[in-house]
Amino acid sequence: MTSELSRQEADRHRPKGGLRSIISRPEIGPIGVMLLLFGMLGYFSIPAAETTWNPFAGEGFNALGIRNNLRVISQLGIIALGAGLLIIAGEFDLSIGSMIGFAGACMAMTLRWGFSIILPYLSFEGGAHLEFYTLLHIPDVSPSLAIFITLCFTLTFGWIQGFIIVRSGLPSFIVTLGGLFFLRGLTEVSLRSFNHRPDQSKGATTVTEIPDLKNVINLPGHGEMEREAAKYLPEADLISIVKGLPADTITEITERLEYTFQRVAEAKTDLMVAKGVKPLERALENALESNNEFMVKTIQDKIANFKIDPVVPKSVTEVDIARAYIDTISTVQPIADFFGGNILESLFDWLYFPIDWNTNNFGNQFAPGLYSCVMIWVILSLVCYIVLSKTQVGNWIYSTGGNLSAAQANGVPTNKVKISLFVFSAFCATLFATCQVFEVNTSDAAKGNLKELEAIAAAVIGGIVMTGGFGTVLGIIVGAFIFGLAKEAFFYIPGIDGSFYRVFLGFVIIASALLNENIRKRIMGNI
Amino acid sequence: MVDASSQPLIETQNLVKKFGSFTALNGVSLKVFPGEVHALLGDNGAGKSTLIKALSGVHQPTSGKIFVEGKETRFNSPRDASGVGIGTVYQDLALNSLTSVTRNFFLGREMKFGKGPFGILKMKEMHEIAINEMAKIGIKIEDPEQPVGTMSGGQRQTLAIARAIYFGAKVLILDEPTSALGQLQQMEVLKTIKKVQQLGHIAIILITHNEIHARLIADRYTFISLGEVIGSGTSKDLESDDIRRLMAGGAKVGDLAKELA
Repeated sequence: MTSELSRQEADRHRPKGGLRSIISRPEIGPIGVMLLLFGMLGYFSIPAAETTWNPFAGEGFNALGIRNNLRVISQLGIIALGAGLLIIAGEFDLSIGSMIGFAGACMAMTLRWGFSIILPYLSFEGGAHLEFYTLLHIPDVSPSLAIFITLCFTLTFGWIQGFIIVRSGLPSFIVTLGGLFFLRGLTEVSLRSFNHRPDQSKGATTVTEIPDLKNVINLPGHGEMEREAAKYLPEADLISIVKGLPADTITEITERLEYTFQRVAEAKTDLMVAKGVKPLERALENALESNNEFMVKTIQDKIANFKIDPVVPKSVTEVDIARAYIDTISTVQPIADFFGGNILESLFDWLYFPIDWNTNNFGNQFAPGLYSCVMIWVILSLVCYIVLSKTQVGNWIYSTGGNLSAAQANGVPTNKVKISLFVFSAFCATLFATCQVFEVNTSDAAKGNLKELEAIAAAVIGGIVMTGGFGTVLGIIVGAFIFGLAKEAFFYIPGIDGSFYRVFLGFVIIASALLNENIRKRIMGNI
Repeated sequence: MVDASSQPLIETQNLVKKFGSFTALNGVSLKVFPGEVHALLGDNGAGKSTLIKALSGVHQPTSGKIFVEGKETRFNSPRDASGVGIGTVYQDLALNSLTSVTRNFFLGREMKFGKGPFGILKMKEMHEIAINEMAKIGIKIEDPEQPVGTMSGGQRQTLAIARAIYFGAKVLILDEPTSALGQLQQMEVLKTIKKVQQLGHIAIILITHNEIHARLIADRYTFISLGEVIGSGTSKDLESDDIRRLMAGGAKVGDLAKELA
């Protein structure tokens, strides 16, 4: 009797040991897949000629590889945060992709053509017809104003979607599906009707010829101009620029250029040696096959004694110094640079000179830095992490998705929480578009296609439960990494179609969803 | 317990509630005293739920008066009722199973540094308060980070009660707290209610179907049938047979075993 009484409910659970408690943590699965993909990307991107156990020797992890991979990952990461937080609150947004296209087109058009508010009205003078009154016209829109105008449209649209969903009680799937079609259509229509010169009747669905705003500099004596244009000014102008520079700046630039030219010369020499030796090696193989010992010996001697005069490094001219100096002038459009420029430029410079790691096959600097969207992703992730895990709003988001009626009974303004998250999701899509527009200086009506599903997939892979109330920002980050890495890693696997990454992700999504559901049930007490 | 001459914490006089042509409550009067468990008994559809909804501000009575600590009061919303100290613990408990004990305890009323909804949570203080408040009514929680879904039904009930008391409930309305629980957990909940009763300053309205539970802890009974009070009294006044008869709405419940034979 006493022994039975002393047995507690908790005794029925097997105690968790050290290893068992690690394995049962919800993050362990996704992090494992992420590490696997890191390894795959590393090993598969090692050039065929090299044999090494160091995954960082691969192309996936050289300077340019890191730059490009992190761009893909962070772009997805930005929208995955918006999508993920919304799913935690129990709703989801299918309009993200169309919102990206819309925001990009809106921003690009205002940058290219300006912004006006035109009111139509009915006039009866000389027969009834429509007249147009221009209330406001801004021909030159600065980057910050373009972003502001775009946010006015996108955030309002996000708010309207949220408002309809909480007021009508319709599933967010349907309402945002409507948003998906509406916004994509609106983007195409607007581009065709506004994106043209007065002498053209119909616009294209792409916006081009936006100046490279992040690279507009103020060149002394020449005014504001694009960096590339400045580099190809007449040589006399360039030399006169150098004359105005302080001596130590010139010394510094010269030193750096000499280093670059030395590297370029070495790379050229190596290339020529390789070119000369390669036919000999092929001949050696043939000779070995035919067992012609004399030929083998002769060719081996030739390879051993193969010599070529090293390429002489180019000497540094004043024009070179001027062009290098132009590269160092900071932009007059810091906002455009903030979203579309590079970050960690001084680190990547240092990795090239003096470290000699960030060097490409031709001896030049490989990557100028990381894309700005990486920084924006990091900032946004930090903010989301603090809000979700550490603030009152975070608790409201979890309870809104976890048990809506409980949240309402305890006075949580669940409708406000949901609407705010729809607005936030639109904000993330706008950030994505802003980075894209200022990076490439173009926009396209098809931009962002299917991104909403990628964002949701990344969130699910990262442990967000589709029914809401469960998930972490760390999970969303890991999900974005897995998605982005899979895309890149499968590209490098030899003899395999690049689209296999989608097959792989399909498996990962279903496996993650099963795992998430299992964890949720365990917490809900159903297992 | 408390002598009947002391002032009731909450009192209703001739409470009438009509939904169109349907009369849900037809002149219900009752008094609830601090430190007492007041069992509200009645069959399904008797009007118990309408009565507690009128007391917790969800419904506005058609006529009749509600007095809280002797003052006549009108509730226009549940917020008004909780403002004067009426805490209702509904059957679903209004808990989010997926988050921790502490996050549920303070849901909607989080302690934080700074103003506004983006204030940073005072997690450490909230953990301590949650553990202490639950310990006061008899449940020791080891880990305040434990998700509510992993707790037993009785522990959840305790969490909801402790939360209502901590946030200033003087009148605690418990809506069928023992239904849908196993035997052991029912005992746990009854013990918790007993602990609250022993605190002395809180009046408890207990809605239940279970006469055994009512007999174990109730100090005073009110029986409702078809929207009217058909009997009331203290535990001393009533015999077991009275209680069973009154619970069935006044009808004579014969020997069930004989009828089924």
